[in-house]
Amino acid sequence: MPTGLDQLKHIVVLMMENRSFDHMLGSLKAVDARIDGVSDPLSNPDTTGALIKAQALAEFQGQLNPDPDHHFPAVDIQIFGGDTSPGRVANMQGFVKSYFNQRRDVGHSQKIMYYFKQSDLPVLTKLALEFAVFNRWFASIPGPTICNRAFAHYGTSFGRVDMDPFDVIEPIKSIYTRLIKATPKHTAKIYYYDTASSTMEVVNLLQNQPELFGTYDRFKKDCDKGILPEYSFVEPNYSDHTGDSGEEVANDQHPDHDVLAGEFLIAEVYMHIRRNPKLWPNTALLVVYDEHGGIYDHVPPPACKPDKFHSSEADPGTNQPFKFDRLGVRVPAILISPWIPKNTVVDRVFDHASIPATLAKFFLEDDDPNRSPREINADVFIEPNVAPVDANRNLLSLANMRDDCPTFDV
Amino acid sequence: MEVIHVPRPSKKAMYPDRPANGLLLAQVSHLQHAERRLPLRYRSDIYTHTIRTEGEAANYIREVTEAIHQAHADAAKRRAKPARRRGLEIAAAAERPSRKSSSKRKTKTTKRRKK
Repeated sequence: MPTGLDQLKHIVVLMMENRSFDHMLGSLKAVDARIDGVSDPLSNPDTTGALIKAQALAEFQGQLNPDPDHHFPAVDIQIFGGDTSPGRVANMQGFVKSYFNQRRDVGHSQKIMYYFKQSDLPVLTKLALEFAVFNRWFASIPGPTICNRAFAHYGTSFGRVDMDPFDVIEPIKSIYTRLIKATPKHTAKIYYYDTASSTMEVVNLLQNQPELFGTYDRFKKDCDKGILPEYSFVEPNYSDHTGDSGEEVANDQHPDHDVLAGEFLIAEVYMHIRRNPKLWPNTALLVVYDEHGGIYDHVPPPACKPDKFHSSEADPGTNQPFKFDRLGVRVPAILISPWIPKNTVVDRVFDHASIPATLAKFFLEDDDPNRSPREINADVFIEPNVAPVDANRNLLSLANMRDDCPTFDV
Repeated sequence: MEVIHVPRPSKKAMYPDRPANGLLLAQVSHLQHAERRLPLRYRSDIYTHTIRTEGEAANYIREVTEAIHQAHADAAKRRAKPARRRGLEIAAAAERPSRKSSSKRKTKTTKRRKK
């Protein structure tokens, strides 16, 4: 029987900044026990040895200042609780300890355990409950933004675990290049918010292929006109600044930016697709966060197939080379389409390499063999639409499109 | 169908003088890396070491992002121009097109542009 997968023509990815799964969606465990959020005994020791519970006390702004450390050495402490021994086990017990290192304030360090109430985040929690929420979507590496975002564009960070500029190592190409150079050609675009916010993919994509980029205003117009490319990657606004149309508040949700501004952005992206009756039936929207931003999550990241690129011994700052053989901390991820059954919970493991992996398998049946091992081994969140489609894995499985999907007042 | 209300951020959320976070400063350094590869006439002249706030970072990010687009657009125009006859070429050689938008925007400081 034909399903929603047969209708799919456009995939949109909105990648937000620096919030963990438990922090944003942990409250949903109380609503649906299948969602692996926060339950009562979850805690971390502070530096006095007191156990600090995860509590629904998160605030939209002003609580996570300074920005919690999420560089490789700090994330190592967060995941392994400060244990550096060879046989160590990930226990997610070092978040408070790591945050204490920044301000040396015991009370303040405990705030890293706070999560949002469901009612605080009406957009993200509603979308999670209405469509498909991923229980096991992890950042690609236990480190910061730039290298994690690189996995969404290339399926690898080319051995980098830091924020410095990096060069693409041929023959690996970005998913955009692979799509637009394919035979037959496909269409792809990166929409940054505006030129004052720009992109986090400067050195390789913006510098060499600026024609790939458009603004968020253009994204909204393309939605309204029904001329969205087959693949769209949307970046939020990374700064408070004055733009051509006045004051622009950062909406990336990076601490200490206002979380409500990000809620508005997510609702707006969703509604621009939702409102166009020619776009809504054939578009899937993935809302995902690039990494956890140093904020508490309780699920230990799993091992994965190593990448072909390794970091040097010095780069991670832990005196150990990193083989990209385990994932970063868990992040919120939600797949949205009117063909997804309400209240779908997905337990399979994903990371940002799943984005190019999915696009390549869906749009490019005969894809470039020169992909990173991480991408080749990453699971896909949309099945390739070639028979036979595995019904157990196909998330766009409904035979009839839903007419009960939520609407937001944006 | 129920329409779900989305709360708007408070007006106090806007704070361009907030110290730029590590991500923005990394973005600035990536753009600086890209700016060094641009022909001189497209460069911003902004001294990035003085960037401290989000507004200042955004100002630099806008300058260089627009310059990258402009440089590519100009290069594409040059590539697309049909070959001219020699006489015309000499007549046109005195004036070289400059980057209009960049010259307007050029600034020597990192001060946030006021509306």
